Amino acid sequence: MSAAALVLVPVFLPLAVGALSAVLPRRAAATLTVIAAVATLMVAVLLGIAVLDAGPVRLEVAGWAPPVGILLAADGLSVVMIGLSAIAVLAATLVAAADDHFAGGHAFWPLVGAAAAAVNGVFVARDVFTAFVLLELLTIASVALVALGGTRSAAAALRYLFVAVTGSLFFLLAVALTYGHTGTVDLARAAERADDTVIVGAIIALTVVGMAAKTALFPLHSWLPVAHPAAPAAVSALLSALVIKASIVILWRIVEYFGPLTDLAAPLATAVGVAGAAAVLWGGVLALRRDRLKSIIAYSTVAQVGYMVLLVPLVFTASDPQVAWIGGILITLAHGVAKVAMFLAAGALATAAGTSRLDGLEGTISRMPWTVAAIGLAGVSLAGLPPTLGFVGKWMLVQASLDAGAWWWLALLLGGGLLTFAYTARMLRATFNPPGDFSGARELTRPARTVAIVPLALAALSVVLGLIPWLLIEVLSAAPMGGGA
Amino acid sequence: MTVIAFSDVDVLDMLVVAAVAVTAILAIAIPRRVGATIAFLVFGLLLALLWARVAAPDVAIAEAALGGGVAGALLVDALHRRQPAQPNRDRRRAVAITAVGAALGAVTFAALATVLSRLTAEPADLGPLALEAVERSGVSHPITAVLLNFRNLDTLLEIAVVVFAAVGAAALSRDRIRTVTDPGPVRRVIAVIIVPALVLLAAWLLVAGTSEPGGAFQAGAVLGAALIIAHLCGVRPARAAGGRALVLVVAGLLAFILLGGIGLAATGTWLALDLSWAFAAILAIETLLTVSIGVALAMLFLAAGSRDDAAAADRAADAPALGGAP
Amino acid sequence: MTTLQLFMYAGAFILVLGVAATLLVRDLIRRLIALNVASGGVMLLLLALADRGDGEPDPVPQALVLTGIVVMAAVTGIAIVLARRVEQLDDDLEEVEQ
Repeated sequence: MSAAALVLVPVFLPLAVGALSAVLPRRAAATLTVIAAVATLMVAVLLGIAVLDAGPVRLEVAGWAPPVGILLAADGLSVVMIGLSAIAVLAATLVAAADDHFAGGHAFWPLVGAAAAAVNGVFVARDVFTAFVLLELLTIASVALVALGGTRSAAAALRYLFVAVTGSLFFLLAVALTYGHTGTVDLARAAERADDTVIVGAIIALTVVGMAAKTALFPLHSWLPVAHPAAPAAVSALLSALVIKASIVILWRIVEYFGPLTDLAAPLATAVGVAGAAAVLWGGVLALRRDRLKSIIAYSTVAQVGYMVLLVPLVFTASDPQVAWIGGILITLAHGVAKVAMFLAAGALATAAGTSRLDGLEGTISRMPWTVAAIGLAGVSLAGLPPTLGFVGKWMLVQASLDAGAWWWLALLLGGGLLTFAYTARMLRATFNPPGDFSGARELTRPARTVAIVPLALAALSVVLGLIPWLLIEVLSAAPMGGGA
Repeated sequence: MTVIAFSDVDVLDMLVVAAVAVTAILAIAIPRRVGATIAFLVFGLLLALLWARVAAPDVAIAEAALGGGVAGALLVDALHRRQPAQPNRDRRRAVAITAVGAALGAVTFAALATVLSRLTAEPADLGPLALEAVERSGVSHPITAVLLNFRNLDTLLEIAVVVFAAVGAAALSRDRIRTVTDPGPVRRVIAVIIVPALVLLAAWLLVAGTSEPGGAFQAGAVLGAALIIAHLCGVRPARAAGGRALVLVVAGLLAFILLGGIGLAATGTWLALDLSWAFAAILAIETLLTVSIGVALAMLFLAAGSRDDAAAADRAADAPALGGAP
Repeated sequence: MTTLQLFMYAGAFILVLGVAATLLVRDLIRRLIALNVASGGVMLLLLALADRGDGEPDPVPQALVLTGIVVMAAVTGIAIVLARRVEQLDDDLEEVEQ
């Protein structure tokens, strides 16, 4: 199979497996889904090799070139994000296969396949309408997955649906404007032909608003701390780690292609940066005040989304935008890995202790040390402390801020890290034994071994990647953002 | 202040647009669900008329079929369930919120209108390019060429949307879809006359779609309607619950992905259709898609509109343990 | 005002109307209707843009609208299922309290 043909495998394989999972019994569905995740990881590696070799890998679907047909392209961002998706899905499905509470029901398997296919599609999409349909597929799958958490989760799922679909409609309007102004919906061709500052600015603005709603960027974030905790644990892991990445990538792509074309880009980028700053602070402060494990982790996601959009203003003001791009992408990767670890570990603790309230977790650390360690290590990566991947990304963003003379972003990056450290410490402290009790005599249902190992393995991955980030950075530089397709 | 002159606009277009706008306002403003749904139904039909005015007959047929179906499901739901009473909002606060909303909406509209006014009236050159490529697509109808050849990836993904929505609805629907055991003479007549007519219409739309307005989606929507009516009239094979239906739904998507793979093997690119067998491939896949879409839509909207006698027992069991996720 | 402008502004108006209602109205089913109205507005805009000029309309935006209509129908279907779950739960809670 040529490299170009590989580009659609991460989309079609999970989609087919998801479709089959809808009619196969649970064991077969789980096995197929795990195999598909492993295969997707292998494809990501192969694509990475192809990208290092010859730059972006392009695929004209159905043999028609744009503007008549659809172009897909795998660049550095695509490769690393598909890798993240494979790892996240693998981890979540291994745990869900071991313990059905994490899954929420049989529909977990087909819906996860659909969600994985959709995000992988977004990572390689270069056509705004294809991106729209992929986002809708993702919304349907994610909303249904949230609702698997039980009857009570239906309200959270419906709220998420309204926010996500409204966001999609804003984006569809941007698609209409793109078509109306340039006569095509292919990003590269449209960027070549666009020549009206106001219209391009409107396209960017509409996309930002639409994607902000779907990614839960402040101030459109309030659905997330309700929806993510309401979902079964493996679903929360995928929602935080993967699903919100799809809309962020679309936002980045629009900025990448259309940003340089309009004078309105700079003020829009600043507005995005301000929203990101507010997200980091708001999410961090609220995470410190919540009493339930999953709520804290959800607000942590709200804060981390702020970092992910922080690269936008830096890209426009730094003298080397690649540093900002790569730093932001690495932070996003680190967040993905850490969040899966955190939610899965939290799910394990909650199942064992019978509650997810912080005051109900006393003593769990002596019974489930690996699980608690996973949360701690994941928190270290999110806080951006060395030697984790989060640190590498943060360091690059710090460099970009210094380079742009934007000391306020610097302060934000450091301040946000302190907040992350604080709420991680709070979560860990809740699991300590009550004072004076050294016996570890708390009776807990021990989780399955897979459930204990997977989160720690993921957290360890953040450290490993942090120690040897060069391969990731090379792939990202071989087919950089702004390189065109 | 510039005077808005309507000299270039056809009176009929103006009337239809005005009617569409009025029904849109009614659909969102009427406080009772039944009334709002009926206004929405009329809105959909007027939209279909408008689509015909804009030279988009395929879209008009799809809008009429799907929009009517959606509105129908909403109407059945509104008629069967008591509309929950909204907690009484302070009157003044409600007016204030509406006023702020209207003001923000007006500002947004003004901004949008400004941006839109900068779009030129020149047609995109994509149109002629696509039209010119149609003769190499295997079919003669441009929309079918776009949907099933040039941009068939979008169509595949769209089928996935419908399929997984049905999967989700099947999993989440608490109410077991009740089989109608004694349909009565009126319904039996409907079953004998209307259902076959609809199935024939669906088949015609499907086959005609290769050279005229029509195609898998319109046919699928009509077939879905036929299945729903058949179910409500007690036709036994039309039982839309459970595993067998899902197999039909999923088969369409799998077949499409398989076709993509065949294209890859035959031509080296996913979903590419070699001109020698493009027509046959398109017709075959459209047939499978029609069945998939029809069954999926029927499942979705039967799940959405089902009566909940079977769920009474569920509720009794659920009551002490109304819990959510850990 | 040309026909194109009429349709574009009408589409924008309907979109804004629908989105505003989705955000402000409380009743779940009415919000769902408003969401569908909003999507109709965007479709009107796309189809008006497809029909510019004197020749045959551009089939690509028409295909896009067709896809969009199907997607919205699927979304609405699942939303109705969820709304029923939410409202039945509220009914159950009321019964339990009584």
